[in-house]
Amino acid sequence: MANDLKFLVVDDFSTMRRIVRNLLKEIGYAEADEAEDGVVALNKLRNGNFSFVVSDINMPNMNGFQLLQEIKKDEKLKHLPVLMVTAEARKEDIVMAAQQGAAGYIVKPFTKATLEDKVNLILTKLGLKT
Amino acid sequence: MSADGVLNLSDTGDSANSLAVHQRIGTLTRQLHDSLNGLGLAEKVKNWAGELPDAKSRLSYIARLTGEAAEKVLNSVDQAKTHHDHIAAETRRIGALIVKDPVAAVAKGHVMNFITDVETASQKIDKHLTEIMMAQDFHDLTGQVIARVVNLAASIEAQLVQLLIVTAPTEVPQKVVETAAAAAAAVPLSFVVHDQPVLEGPAINPQDDPDVVSGQSEVDDLLASLGF
Repeated sequence: MANDLKFLVVDDFSTMRRIVRNLLKEIGYAEADEAEDGVVALNKLRNGNFSFVVSDINMPNMNGFQLLQEIKKDEKLKHLPVLMVTAEARKEDIVMAAQQGAAGYIVKPFTKATLEDKVNLILTKLGLKT
Repeated sequence: MSADGVLNLSDTGDSANSLAVHQRIGTLTRQLHDSLNGLGLAEKVKNWAGELPDAKSRLSYIARLTGEAAEKVLNSVDQAKTHHDHIAAETRRIGALIVKDPVAAVAKGHVMNFITDVETASQKIDKHLTEIMMAQDFHDLTGQVIARVVNLAASIEAQLVQLLIVTAPTEVPQKVVETAAAAAAAVPLSFVVHDQPVLEGPAINPQDDPDVVSGQSEVDDLLASLGF
């Protein structure tokens, strides 16, 4: 069931992690964990059972692009959908994210409806939601 | 010195002194100019001049975003409180009706109407609470912008300290450096300041830059045009 999916929310700002987690809960996805950068996220992904990644781009230690590349290089993780949620609004960043295998791109500030639309669209494409 | 405290060289009546002061100022100006060039700072000073308006527009962006967030929160609180007050008043009214005649209160639909009212108001209050939560996203967006302005200020400070070391009397610069370093270390930051900003962060004036999108619909259009 889609509602049993476990999400990993990656953002260096704790405020934004809480907002995204709360929104996911409101739209029916209560199972979520957090990571403050790409390094912590990758460690959690390799040791946990996650189904979906929501990631910021501009983060210390390992940014969202690097995390995306690591996920797509990893045989066990490459199937994971990665939704970028970021303030980076340059067109080249959006194109790069798509080329590197991001499942979606949301530019901050965003609304609950936008997050809900993108998450549900990605899950529907993957056959995880009808 | 004139009555208003402004130095007037002619007041001294000593033209030789005035000339000496002028020559000294000229020498200092030349030394400063040479120091800036010698340190390769002249180009940096030009860059600061270009970056300061950018810092100003970033600070304006912060002021705007925090102002809008505060406005959104206060509006949502006002509306949520209105719904809450309505339910509180209705609760008292229905309570009185039930105490007076419980059978009639149910039979006439007062209790059922009240339950419907509570459910509607709860949904509206929940919507306002979500809006209040979403308004907090300014912390992330302004934090990224503040980090860039702090980096700019730190860069200017470092160059000015370097300039002071070269131009000030021998023992003063070390104290200045210590004071500046101590002050910088004492400032508590609730966000990470990256050594080298790699990414641009929030677009301050997206309408002025064709290379950035101004909203989610443009992101969706761009991705759709690429077949994603």
